[in-house]
Amino acid sequence: MSRWGEALGRGASAQFARVGRMRRALVILAAVACTAAALLYWRQQTDEGMHRPLHSLYAGVEPQWSWICQQDRCERFLASETNVLQSLPTCNMLCSSTQLWPQPTGRVSLATAAVPVRANGFSLHVIASPSSLVTEHLHEAFALFKEDLTKLERSAGSDSRRGDIGYTRNVLVHIFVNGTGDPRLRLDTDESYKLSLKPAGHNLVVDITAHSFPGARHGFETLSQIIWLDPYAGSLLILEAATINDAPKFSYRGLLLDTARNYFPVNEIIRTIDAMASCKLNTFHWHVSDSQSFPLKLDSAPQLAQYGAYGPGAIYTVEDVKAIVRRAKLRGIRVLIEVDAPAHVGRAWTWGPSAGLGHLAHCVELEPWSTWCGEPPCGQLNPKNPHVYELLERIYAEIIQLTGVDDIFHLGGDEVSERCWSQHFNDTDPMDLWLEFTKKAMHSLERANGGRAPEMTLLWSSRLTRTPYLEKLDKKRYGIHIWGASQWQESRAVLDAGYRSIISHVDAWYLDCGFGSWRDSSDGHCGPYRSWQQVYEHRPWIEEGPSLTAGMPGVEPASPWRIEGGATCQWTEQLGPGGLDARVWPRTAAVAERLWSDSNERAEADVYLRLDTHRTRMVARGVRAAPLWPRWCSHNPHQCL
Amino acid sequence: MQLISIGLIMLSAAVWELNIIVVLKSYVCYSLYLILCGETACFLSCIMAYIWPILVIATLHLAQCNQEENKLEDIQPYIYQPSWMYTCVPDEGCERSDQPEPTGNTTNPRRSQTYESLDLCRTVCGRFGGFWPKPITAVLSTQTVKIHPNFLRFDLVDVPAEARQLMIQMTQLVGPNLMAECNGNVTDLVETPVMVYISVKNAATTLTWDTDEQYMLDLKVKDGEISTHIVAETVFGARHALETFTQLVASTRPEYSNSNACSLRIVSGAKIRDRPVYKHRGFLLDSSRHFIPLVDIKRTLDGMASTKLNVFHWHVTDSHSFPLESSRVPQFTRYGAYSAEEIYTTEEVRGLVQYAKVRGIRMVIEIDSPAHAANGWQWGKDYGFGDLAVCVNAKPWRQLCIQPPCGQLNPANSNMYRYLKELYQDIADFLGETPLLHVGGDEVFINCWNSSQEIVTYMKNQGYDRNVEGFMQLWSEFHYKALEAWDDVTKSSLPVMIWSSELTQAHRIQNYLDKNRYIIEVWEPLSSPLETMLLRMGYRIVSVPKDIWYLDHGFWGMTKYSNWRRMYSHVLPNHDGVLGGEVAMWSEYVDENALDTRVWPRLAAVAERLWANPSGGVYGAETRLNRHRARLIARGLRPDAIAPQWCDQHDNRCL
Repeated sequence: MSRWGEALGRGASAQFARVGRMRRALVILAAVACTAAALLYWRQQTDEGMHRPLHSLYAGVEPQWSWICQQDRCERFLASETNVLQSLPTCNMLCSSTQLWPQPTGRVSLATAAVPVRANGFSLHVIASPSSLVTEHLHEAFALFKEDLTKLERSAGSDSRRGDIGYTRNVLVHIFVNGTGDPRLRLDTDESYKLSLKPAGHNLVVDITAHSFPGARHGFETLSQIIWLDPYAGSLLILEAATINDAPKFSYRGLLLDTARNYFPVNEIIRTIDAMASCKLNTFHWHVSDSQSFPLKLDSAPQLAQYGAYGPGAIYTVEDVKAIVRRAKLRGIRVLIEVDAPAHVGRAWTWGPSAGLGHLAHCVELEPWSTWCGEPPCGQLNPKNPHVYELLERIYAEIIQLTGVDDIFHLGGDEVSERCWSQHFNDTDPMDLWLEFTKKAMHSLERANGGRAPEMTLLWSSRLTRTPYLEKLDKKRYGIHIWGASQWQESRAVLDAGYRSIISHVDAWYLDCGFGSWRDSSDGHCGPYRSWQQVYEHRPWIEEGPSLTAGMPGVEPASPWRIEGGATCQWTEQLGPGGLDARVWPRTAAVAERLWSDSNERAEADVYLRLDTHRTRMVARGVRAAPLWPRWCSHNPHQCL
Repeated sequence: MQLISIGLIMLSAAVWELNIIVVLKSYVCYSLYLILCGETACFLSCIMAYIWPILVIATLHLAQCNQEENKLEDIQPYIYQPSWMYTCVPDEGCERSDQPEPTGNTTNPRRSQTYESLDLCRTVCGRFGGFWPKPITAVLSTQTVKIHPNFLRFDLVDVPAEARQLMIQMTQLVGPNLMAECNGNVTDLVETPVMVYISVKNAATTLTWDTDEQYMLDLKVKDGEISTHIVAETVFGARHALETFTQLVASTRPEYSNSNACSLRIVSGAKIRDRPVYKHRGFLLDSSRHFIPLVDIKRTLDGMASTKLNVFHWHVTDSHSFPLESSRVPQFTRYGAYSAEEIYTTEEVRGLVQYAKVRGIRMVIEIDSPAHAANGWQWGKDYGFGDLAVCVNAKPWRQLCIQPPCGQLNPANSNMYRYLKELYQDIADFLGETPLLHVGGDEVFINCWNSSQEIVTYMKNQGYDRNVEGFMQLWSEFHYKALEAWDDVTKSSLPVMIWSSELTQAHRIQNYLDKNRYIIEVWEPLSSPLETMLLRMGYRIVSVPKDIWYLDHGFWGMTKYSNWRRMYSHVLPNHDGVLGGEVAMWSEYVDENALDTRVWPRLAAVAERLWANPSGGVYGAETRLNRHRARLIARGLRPDAIAPQWCDQHDNRCL
């Protein structure tokens, strides 16, 4: 923690080395003084007297409680019983642990002193940028960052709000991006960043160094996490100094939202993307269509939404998608739109005959549904109709053009009903049909993507990703999105076979589990509810990694697992817009830290505290995240464990 | 049994019907009487009487226009497809069209029983239309007429003067609730008068377990006027009728429409006879584990009113926090609230009691004691009154309570009873006439009391053994003294509610708790025999089976989530001693952010169980519940979805 002070000392003495002895002595003395001063900034706050500077902000406020850091914990006292006033957020920020979420993976040192700032006191200086596009994105992302701060500033209760909080510091944010000139998040994007914050004269200076736009943006996010609202002062505070080196452990960190079972308005999606950004998730997997509805109104095939949407207002127009993609891009997030095929299609595909294209889909809404599919209504694309592939090409091309994501694509490809196809094509093995469909869809995708296959094309794990069909899928092209339970043999087999994989194990990261069945006839729904602790502690790459079987007799030496990352899945059979936030958050934030930091930590005291702080942060930004525990436990850190 | 009661209702209906005719015939006389009596409350009705002929002429004119009402829609802006049409298929429900059809398609004249709006289709389709909870008997027309809430008038001539002010407040909620169906903006202005004649017999304005909540509602379209006659014993019955009245209305705007145009239609004929099966239909909200802002409580009360729930059980304090302001003992909040802003002030509480009353809801305030009391009670020593509570915020907590923070009132300290009584005095002031107190009484941890030397000594002096039964004696002594304090405050001996506990075990309860004074709120799991045994002993109970009707279950430990189907399917014991049931929202893992999505629509499901106790299962209920869910959303709540929207649009296809 003292490094910064020492470095300053060394630098200073080097500069004056040539001068006479007296001066040198003086300089050394000054350097020592400098170091001591710096150390003072850094030292743990144990002396109550040091709270005084903040205390002066509290003039005229009579809060009920005061928190004092004792033995690395914030203890609550009646304000009247202590001569030190400190709010809970300030105590948490200045006491032992970092309040960062996700926890950075590199070196972190934080000051334990704070100074007041204003949202409009922040300014951006792009010192180095590889392209004007990146510069432009930096400015817009910075504007969003300031918007978040402003929101936080305004959330101060009117009671504690005071007109004059006195002298505030300005914060200059210097950005250095040396790397790719493409602001998009790519599979190979280096998302690491370095942040250093230190006082300079009357101002504070923040240096953020990154190799890409998304990396620099993560720097903004971290910066926003060392700024908080002190409710008693009614003012934003910032740590006075900090250095943070940070990079993610996994490159794909996602959330899947299903907008087909129930429709979610655009603003809900934007808010979800903002919430994702707050914990440095980087992939919004948009399961946009399913057999129940097709809300995506594409210019290339408007009939799909016309026949498939729940109503004229339950659609996403091209403008809507652009707005979502734009927002996501500025938040360092890729939008991965999945139009599930060949199964999970419905009424949207029934206009073929009237348009002279023949049957695009079979078994649509066929009864009894339980014979033909996993949940009502049924429907499956017609693999022998060439128009299907032409349409898919058009759809894929428009999706790639709208999202700007061309290195990764999701074809869907789960839960094909063999019986449905057998009914129509009794001369062909449905599994062969499925394989053929997948290859043809892949060709459509290639053509849609200018003749190149994306670097990784995802398929849901299914019967097709099991032996003997798995071997027929090209490892260089396909990645497998594993949704099966972590204990299932086939979930492991895909990893052992060396496919690039995204993990969404149903037994850990399915957020829809635990709400019972929505139909009379079945209890086929997964359960129980996956608590945030379970979500957080799920580390299949450690728990069941290939090393466990290595050397066991009869087990072939497996190739190393290629896990690109993971995603929580929010299927929405039993979720509408009203409950979205509380269902998704804070559980998806827990996954975010697992995928970013992947520390050995289980859901322990420190994780509770930091997640609780992060949840408060999200609520201040308008996300209705569910609480972790009773409010008293937030007020009395460590006492509910 | 049921036959007899239905027979009785029909009989009384017949008698009341005669009354209505009399009322109608002597309408003018009544109006004159009104003018003479000059009560401000009757002002509206007086005006109605004067402008009567004009309205009739206006509506006659409108009735002619009704045939061509689609004309206006031609000039609407282009609307993106699809727009589905819904057809009411008898015994099946509302069926979505196969093809998306253009909105306002004039070339295809509106077939009867085909609707653009699913809500409207639901309102007329099926025996119980869009009602939630379903009435005992209802006969509905399949036709609808257009209305505008601005032309809604209430005739309260037949409401006793003492109850009229309350009735007026109740009627004032109808218009906004109708407007909400159109998101606050009914663009289609029709001037058809909508008259609601309310007749109430009893002047009572206090809701108790004896309140008669039954009502009759008859709606007819006659001479261009929509006249609704509501007859009820009490204003609370009449309020339920008004709630039912709003459920006869739906907007014509298709769901997910992107157009602003919206009109309302009401079923053009209805005859409803209705009364609740259970007297106590409650919802418990815990505002101690998390402070729930007033606005969110009010929204919850709005939802409760829409489902005819009638008890708001406010678990306002617990060991975690004490947000209820006491004017007599300000220390409670000063030492117990999460912050100075997170307090229910006395004015707010009084306002809330009234807010609930206007919605037909009785407020029960629970001060949990002697356990579940800590923060808010820790000031005794500072003020020289000794420890009012013991083990407050004790560390480590596991030995001394069920969850942190620990704390139990100190029964050895007479000052504790003094301040408890002051608090009761405040509560009695809040609740007004016939106040209902819940004394808590659950989960006393013997270890906690046993760890206090003061209490152990006190027990010795009282001659209690230092064993389980000794502590039971101490515990019951607490309740005895607490009840005494409450009786002193109310100057009467009203029954109070208490949780089931060790003290209410079958072999103990009769020694400690008087069955005429205590209503036992049983929160045992379904498998427990306690409920049956208490009923056999003659206790009155309120049932809250925790493994079914606890909304926090399924999110912690080994508990299991109950979805609405499971909650709805649970039937209470058929016994006179069962006053009713409650659904409990403990707030360890819920604050205002997650409140609605946890509570709704599951609470609505239980509301129908308690109101109608229907014999049918979830099969026939789902479409109506979906309609009610839409209604809750219109009224500003955020209920969970219960199935994919596709299932809502395709009745009975997702079984």
